[in-house]
Amino acid sequence: MASTTFRVFRFQPDSGDLESYHQDFSLDHEEKTTVLDALLRIQNEQDGTLAVRYSCRSAICGSCACKVNGKTVLACMTQVEEAKAESGSSTLQVDPIGNFAPIKDLVVDMTSFWEKFKAVKPYLIPDGPAPQKERLVPKAAMEKVAKESACILCAACYSECNSLAADPEFVGPAAFAWGYRFAADERDAQRKNRAKLYSGQHGIWDCTRCMFCNERCPKGVDPRDAIEKLGAIAFQEKVTKDKGARHAKAFLISMRTGGKLNEQLVGGLTDPVGGAFNAPLALRMLQKGKLPASPLTHRVKNRDQVTKLIKNVKETI
Amino acid sequence: MPRQFAYYPGCVAEFSSKELNATTKALAPLLDIELLPMPQATCCGAGDIAEAKPNLYLTLNVRILSEAEEMGADILTICNVCTLNLRRANKMVREDPRLLEQVNGELVNAGARPYRGTIDVTHLLWYLATEEGLSLLEQRGPKGLGGLRVAPYYGCQLLRPSSVMGFEDPDRPQSLERLITALGGEVADYDGKTRCCGFPIILAREEVALRESHVALAGARDAGAQAMVTPCPLCHLAMDAYQRKTEQLMGEEYAMPVLHLPQLIGLALGLPTQTMEFKRHFTSVDEVLQTVGA
Repeated sequence: MASTTFRVFRFQPDSGDLESYHQDFSLDHEEKTTVLDALLRIQNEQDGTLAVRYSCRSAICGSCACKVNGKTVLACMTQVEEAKAESGSSTLQVDPIGNFAPIKDLVVDMTSFWEKFKAVKPYLIPDGPAPQKERLVPKAAMEKVAKESACILCAACYSECNSLAADPEFVGPAAFAWGYRFAADERDAQRKNRAKLYSGQHGIWDCTRCMFCNERCPKGVDPRDAIEKLGAIAFQEKVTKDKGARHAKAFLISMRTGGKLNEQLVGGLTDPVGGAFNAPLALRMLQKGKLPASPLTHRVKNRDQVTKLIKNVKETI
Repeated sequence: MPRQFAYYPGCVAEFSSKELNATTKALAPLLDIELLPMPQATCCGAGDIAEAKPNLYLTLNVRILSEAEEMGADILTICNVCTLNLRRANKMVREDPRLLEQVNGELVNAGARPYRGTIDVTHLLWYLATEEGLSLLEQRGPKGLGGLRVAPYYGCQLLRPSSVMGFEDPDRPQSLERLITALGGEVADYDGKTRCCGFPIILAREEVALRESHVALAGARDAGAQAMVTPCPLCHLAMDAYQRKTEQLMGEEYAMPVLHLPQLIGLALGLPTQTMEFKRHFTSVDEVLQTVGA
């Protein structure tokens, strides 16, 4: 047997208390108890008002995502003793997932998450009449979207997304993983439209690449990689008007001209209009020697190899 | 005999943040490191070329790895982004022989050397934050940081994804703390040290990016830090060059000097301040220099 103190986030506005707080519960439990089992035992044995969202208890439904000692996990696949050992603490603090407003205790309002999920059109939109029997897909084609198909919409990625914390309108990693899953499906006929849909304000180019989504995903979906692949699809479909896409294009031009990043070129090509409003900063950058005098100064040895690679390498997304 | 590395400073340290490159080069002999130049190495492409042309991104990074392999030395970087991209490419081709064969086909067609997969990529922080590295610093007899209270700022891409980076726990990293303490500084701990500085989108989505860097700057300030230290030149630009803009947007003052990791080490080892080119910083480091007696 083991013994653990659970410091649980409490928020019960329906009882008139609009302030949140943490409440400690002590529990003796088996060595192999999961955080979800522990929470349910606390609910059953100590405080029936504790609100917890869960369903399958098998890491499939995604309902029980929460923060354990600050790290977003699925409560049903997190062993209490392992979490204690990992954090080096005998107390486990359990909080609701981040970037959401709590409704009651560990239950959060996921309305915005589902709205964004629906907005990416997470379903196949094929062209032409439906076949009599079925649309067959080669195994290799489905392997391209296998990782993203494993998303269970638990919102662990969304919980810790740094772009979302700064901009609540950002569509977010889970929805884009689903977006890629359909954009890259060879039965779908909306590749270009999807590229446009996902490239707008708060879209794929707003991802700040903090990599929390890849780190936290309990199913190995790697949503950041999906966002990256959606960028490649946008390029293939020539949907590159967004400043984020122009930034990526500027890198390519920079690589073509000398093989190295050229800050002057990248800044000017990413946002020539908005850049004017940044003139004081640009001036200070120049004063501090942080902008190159010429956009053509950086040349690597054997640059012809780079030129050939840029010309020859074919993209397969 | 110094440890030889193929030195990959990355584009930002070579151009915008030359003070980082200069300090690293000045520091290397004191750390028994020989930095071998890589004249053929291109930009790693950051996340940008990966977002536009992923196969090209992979091939360009493997070409960099191949140059180091020809030199017979592992790669040492001083940039989080370069570290992630080179390690990621390395992992991809090492784990998939068919992919390596395809990439090598492209390299050979372009006249470049094929890669065998023998190179490792490390960051200066990782090299120094081991027991061996820390004892190396101790042997150098650091004059110390005089109790300077320093906020470690890791940024993102040196920690995550841990499946690629793997040096330490991405949620509870300790390498910077170990170095700060070993060099005679005090650690100002705060939650924002592993969050994003926002730099990758600072040109395209400036306000969102500044809101991200605010979290770290405010956290460090509230923890009573006299300076932040970062192992990444992009984080440095976001925190230092854009600090005034963040202050204007958030209506708060940070007045936070931000040091490149080699500068912090250089201060502790008594490297001349001129060599470290603090004049290139936006936020004054005068008080830091006073505290450490430089």
